[in-house]
Amino acid sequence: MAMDLLVDAVVYGNLLSLLSIGLSLTLLTTRVSNFAHGDFATVGIYVAYTMSVLFGANPYLFLPFSFVGGLLLGFLVYRVVFEPLRGKASLVTLMIVSMALDFILRYSVQIYADVLQRSLGVYTRGIVFKDVNVNFLGSTLPGLLVISSAVAWLFLLLLYLFLYKTKVGIAMRAVIENPSLSEALGINVKRVYALSWMLSASFASVAGVFLPFRITVNPDTGFSILLSIFAAVTLGGLESLLGSIVGAYIIAFSETVGVYYLSQIGLSTAYRPAISFITLALVLLLYPRGLAGLWSKR
Amino acid sequence: MDVVFFVLDLAVLYSVYVILASSLNLEYGEAGLPNFAKAAFFAIGAFSVGALSVRLGAVFLDMALEGDFKLNSLRWAMSVSQSVARNPFLGLGIFIATLIVAVLVGSVLGVLASYPALRLREDYLGMLLIAFSETIRIVARNYDPLVGGTFGAGVVDFLAWAGSPLREILLLFLSVVVAAIIWLVYYRLSTSPFGRTLRAMRDNELATESLGRNIVKLRMMAMMIGSAMASVAGVLYAYYVGTVNPDDFTTSKTFLITLMVIIGGSGNPYGPLVGPAVYLAFDRLIQFTKQRLILPFDPNYLSYIVLGVVLIIVVDRHPGGIVPEKPTLTLPRELRSLLRQRRVEETWNRQ
Repeated sequence: MAMDLLVDAVVYGNLLSLLSIGLSLTLLTTRVSNFAHGDFATVGIYVAYTMSVLFGANPYLFLPFSFVGGLLLGFLVYRVVFEPLRGKASLVTLMIVSMALDFILRYSVQIYADVLQRSLGVYTRGIVFKDVNVNFLGSTLPGLLVISSAVAWLFLLLLYLFLYKTKVGIAMRAVIENPSLSEALGINVKRVYALSWMLSASFASVAGVFLPFRITVNPDTGFSILLSIFAAVTLGGLESLLGSIVGAYIIAFSETVGVYYLSQIGLSTAYRPAISFITLALVLLLYPRGLAGLWSKR
Repeated sequence: MDVVFFVLDLAVLYSVYVILASSLNLEYGEAGLPNFAKAAFFAIGAFSVGALSVRLGAVFLDMALEGDFKLNSLRWAMSVSQSVARNPFLGLGIFIATLIVAVLVGSVLGVLASYPALRLREDYLGMLLIAFSETIRIVARNYDPLVGGTFGAGVVDFLAWAGSPLREILLLFLSVVVAAIIWLVYYRLSTSPFGRTLRAMRDNELATESLGRNIVKLRMMAMMIGSAMASVAGVLYAYYVGTVNPDDFTTSKTFLITLMVIIGGSGNPYGPLVGPAVYLAFDRLIQFTKQRLILPFDPNYLSYIVLGVVLIIVVDRHPGGIVPEKPTLTLPRELRSLLRQRRVEETWNRQ
C-alpha cells in the first residue's frame, strides 16, 4: 500500500514538474499566465493515442512524436497569438487571451476526438494506456515509474544545460532578467520568446503521454489538471524554475498522500483537487514569494 | 409552441448572460478587479435555490422530508410544485425567499473576496479567485446535503399555478425584466460619480487615494454589487433549468463570461449587451445549421472555438472591444493615451 502510494506520488510529481516548468517558462518570458497550458498536455495525449491506434504499438514509442507535436504547437501559438500582442496587452488581457486559446484548443481536440471515433471506430474518450513492467536492478517495477522518471529528469537536466551552458539559453535568461536591455544588446527577443513557447508546449505534451497510464483521459483532462499545475508554480514562487520543480513534487505528494488520509478519516477522495486549490490560495495570501523566497535574494 | 420555447430559451439565456457580463464589467471593466470567481457567484444563486426551494416549500406546507436529500430532492420538488399549482402565493414566497438568501450570501462572499485584492497584483488575484471558485464547486459536488452532489437538486416550479403557456410567458417576462433592471442599475452606477471613481482607481490607484477616495471601500462596493448581481443570475437560471448541478458552474463558465465582456467592450456599459448577443448569435446559428448539415462531430463545440477566435482578433485589432470605453473627455488627449499605455507598460517593464 505505502509502496503504491509512493510510486503514484513520484510519477505524478514527474508529470507535474514537466508541466509546471513549462508554465513558469512562458510566465517568465512573455508574462502570460497560460490557462491553455493543460491543453498542450491533451494534444500530446491524442498525438500518442492516434499513432498507437494506427500502428498498434505501445504509446511510449510515440513520445518523440508528441514532443515534436508540442514544439510545432508552441511555435504556432506564439507566432499567431502572442507575438502580435507583445507590448500591447496588459497582464490580465494576456490571461484572458489564454482563456480564449484554451477554448480553441480544448474544443478542437473534442472535435478531433469525435472525428477519430467516427473514422477509426475506436473509443476516444475514457482512454487508458496499458503499462509495461520493467526489470530494474533485479526487481520488477512498473514501466511508468521508470520511464516517466527517466524522461522527466533527462528533460530537466537538458533544460538546465540549455539555460546555463548554451548561448541561446543564456540569452533566454538575459531576456527574462531585462527584455529591453537584452534587445538593445542585439538579442533576438522574438526568437527567444518563440523558443520558450516551443519548450513549454513540448514539455507539457510529453508529460501528457504519461497521463493515460494513471487515469482515464478525455479531451478536457488537461484543463482539469490546470489548477494543480498553477498550484505547483505558485508554491514555487511564480518567478522561479527551480521553485516550480520543487513545488510540483510537494503538490504531487500532498495530493496523493493527502487523499489517502482523507479516505482514512471518512471524507470522499473526490476532494483531492481541493488540496491544490487551497495550497494555491494560502501561498498567494500568506507568502506570495513562495518557496523561491527561501533561497532567492531578489 | 416551438416558437415560444425557442424565444424563451434565447431570452432567458440572454438575460442571464447580460446580468453576468454586467457584473463582471463593473468589477473588471470599471474597477480593474479580475473577478474570475464569476462562476462561483453565479453558482451561489443557483445553489440557494437548489438547497432551499424544496426545504422552504416543505416548511411552509408542514411536509415531513424523510430520507436522503440526494436521492429524493427531485421527487420532493415535484410534490411541492403540485401544491404550488394550487397556491400561487406559496410559489411567490419561495421565489422571493431564495432570491433574498442568494443576494445576501453573494454580497457577503463578494466582500470577503475583495480583501485579497489589497495585497495581490491583478493577475495573481485572478488566479486566486479561480482557485476559490473551484473549491466551492468541489465542495458542492461532494457534500451531498447541500445540492445533492453529482445527482443535482430538484427545484420547485414556482410558476406551476400558471400552467403552460402562461408559465413560459411569465418566466420570459420575469427574466427580461430582472435583467433590464440590473442592467439599468449598472448603467446608472457606471455613468455616476461612483463609476468614474472606479475607473480612476483602475487607472491610477495612488492618485485616486491622494484625492481622498477610500480604495478599500471602493473595491468592496464593486465586488459586493457585482457578486449580488451574479447571484441573481444564478437564481433565474436555476428556476429556468429546473435542476441544479454543481458541474454546471466550472471555470469554463467564467471564461465564457470573460470573453463576452472583452468582446463586447470592457468599461462601456453597452458592452455587456453586445458580448452575450455575439455569442448567442453564433451559438444559435450553429444550432440551426446543425439540423441541415451532417457533420462527423458535435457542432456545439464550434461556438466556443468561434468565440475564442473572435476574442483573439478583437484583442489584436480592436482592443477596446466592439463598443469601446468612452474616454474621459475632461482630460487632454495626450494624457488619455498615456493612461491607456500605463498598465501595458507595467506588464512589460516589470523588473
